[in-house]
Amino acid sequence: MSSYLNYILPIFYFSLVWAYGKAFFADQLWAKRAKTPLLIGTLTFHGLYLAVRTIIFQHPPVTTVFEIFSMLAFSVTATYWIIELRSHRKETGYFILNIAFFFQLASTFFIKDTPVVPEILRSPLFGAHVSCALIGYAASTIAGAYSFMYLMLYHEMKASRFGVIYKKLPTLESLERMTMTAIKLVVALLGVAICFGIVWLHHVYQNAHYDDPKLIGTVIVWMMYGFLVVARKYFAVQGRKIMILSIAGFFISIFSMTIINIFFSGFHKFY
Amino acid sequence: MNLLCVGISHHTAPLDVRERLWFSSDEIRRTLPLLKPLSAGESVLFSTCNRTELYVLMENGTIEPDVLKKLLIAQKSAAGKVQPSDMFMMTAGDAARHLFRVAASLDSMVLGDVQILAQVKEGFNLATELGTAGVFMNRLFQLAFRVGKRTRTETEIGEGAVSISYAAVELAQKIFDDLQKRTAFVIGAGETAELTATHLRGKNIGKLLITNRTQERAEQLAQKVHGTAIPFNSWCDALAESDIVISSVEVNRYIIQPSDIQSLVRKNRNGPLCVIDLGVPRNIDPQIKELENIFLYDLDTLNTMIDENLQHRKAEIPKVDAIIVDVLAELTQWYSSLEVNPTITALTQFMESIRQEEVAKNINRFNPKDRELVELITKRIINKIIHAPIVNLRNGQETSLTERLQKMSAIQKLFGLAKSSKEDSHAE
Repeated sequence: MSSYLNYILPIFYFSLVWAYGKAFFADQLWAKRAKTPLLIGTLTFHGLYLAVRTIIFQHPPVTTVFEIFSMLAFSVTATYWIIELRSHRKETGYFILNIAFFFQLASTFFIKDTPVVPEILRSPLFGAHVSCALIGYAASTIAGAYSFMYLMLYHEMKASRFGVIYKKLPTLESLERMTMTAIKLVVALLGVAICFGIVWLHHVYQNAHYDDPKLIGTVIVWMMYGFLVVARKYFAVQGRKIMILSIAGFFISIFSMTIINIFFSGFHKFY
Repeated sequence: MNLLCVGISHHTAPLDVRERLWFSSDEIRRTLPLLKPLSAGESVLFSTCNRTELYVLMENGTIEPDVLKKLLIAQKSAAGKVQPSDMFMMTAGDAARHLFRVAASLDSMVLGDVQILAQVKEGFNLATELGTAGVFMNRLFQLAFRVGKRTRTETEIGEGAVSISYAAVELAQKIFDDLQKRTAFVIGAGETAELTATHLRGKNIGKLLITNRTQERAEQLAQKVHGTAIPFNSWCDALAESDIVISSVEVNRYIIQPSDIQSLVRKNRNGPLCVIDLGVPRNIDPQIKELENIFLYDLDTLNTMIDENLQHRKAEIPKVDAIIVDVLAELTQWYSSLEVNPTITALTQFMESIRQEEVAKNINRFNPKDRELVELITKRIINKIIHAPIVNLRNGQETSLTERLQKMSAIQKLFGLAKSSKEDSHAE
């Protein structure tokens, strides 16, 4: 059953991105009306899929990269829904949900069924570590998406082009504020995830070492985002530079989660 | 529909003619009561910058439009200066459609003008206060307001700035969220600078600094827009604390150079700066556009933006037309329902439906042999109850249109007939 749901899920995400895109670029009334119900429907279906998978495999789907990708798609979509509810602004959905769609698509095609979970992954500390890291990465994705929107609007305004991007996106100040809020969340959550991870590491390995590429990658990402917060607050670095660094941070996060995790990881490789 | 509309607008007469027919509230108060003796059952008169329009519900359909035109001209003592031929006239559905177009701002000089609806409302409220707007005008104008409201919410006809000064403010609003926390610096005190400063004040700009080579003029403008005048030679300091700079002075050289902006960066002022150059020749070196976080716009850019916005507004016209057709159909349906025969039919059907419902509920309590009798008796009761109202309604056809409309409207409201007929139409 879980595999059926797994293949239906990207169709939900595709329809969602399609509706948000049609509403943003073509101003179509049906899309404007359909997008939020579709968002709630997709989240419900995704929640059902994750629950079914948890029941079937007897562990939360956070133990492999592509399970985490699916969780990430869910977290990004859920976070976006909260933003939409709170801000009453629905224009940014297309850009954020596109990323969720690609996370889910990758997960759907590459996810493997893992009925047996190593004992070390059953620790509550591991759960806290993964949850914080997951929400941190979701925040990083959202910061990246808002930064991308900022740069698009920035260039449109610099070039005096007053098309759909100019008309539909929120103000530059809003986009910068939302990016910075997401970046602060990344710093806080990845920081906590790293701390939990280190404590858990000592708990499960007698001779713990810190040269794991995934750990180093995550610390670099965390420091990079931390630098952005400090630079913004104390050195008045604003606008375009912050956004470029935020997008770079997002790509390094993805690199750390995928390439490093799959090909170079030390103790982060559990299977 | 015995509706007649006469008026003057930018489509029919130039400004120097139509300004002669502009009615103040007091003048409207004096004019509307004069229409009653002319068999005007109900009337509404309003004036805006570009139009004066009089809507009259004729009692017998006998008022000559020229009589109304001449009355308006006479009331303003504009004979000889304004001719009846400068004015337009419309009747029935055309007049209603015209009012809806006015409320939707399709007929405005600036397509999508947001002020027109408030001005029409003001005119209607005045007529209500004077008692010249009755059942018909109330319905007509409420529908017009609905057209105006739907136009604002369902279309983008009012979106985007269509004047230079407003476009300048709109650009700043696309960069900054809340202008209340921002400082704007206006260089110049001419007409364009004043309009822009007024718009900025209207958008609750936090701090408004004004400078001009003639300090006195800067102070006058500052007083007008609740700003602060600063000496022309200290504009560099003002620049350092500004988020928005608007320059509109006549100069032969650039007054703001890239080096001025770079010096701001050295002062740790890195945030976005919106610079609007409304001067001809240009006041600000276009090279500053290359600097990071600096958004520079000149008159050409603003004109392009306005053209694009106007095109966008024009593209929305079919959507507004569809709303007007929709609401016009509702008006026509409502008006037809106020005719005597449809009202009688609706009342009879209403009573009969109650009778049938009650009989159906209770018929099993009677012996089978009595059931036919129950049908007969209840029918007789209903017929007797509605006999007198029906006779009165039929006899009332000779009374004035306004009275008849009031009577029909009252019956429909009392028995909820309008509601049920609307439900029927939706069901269809």
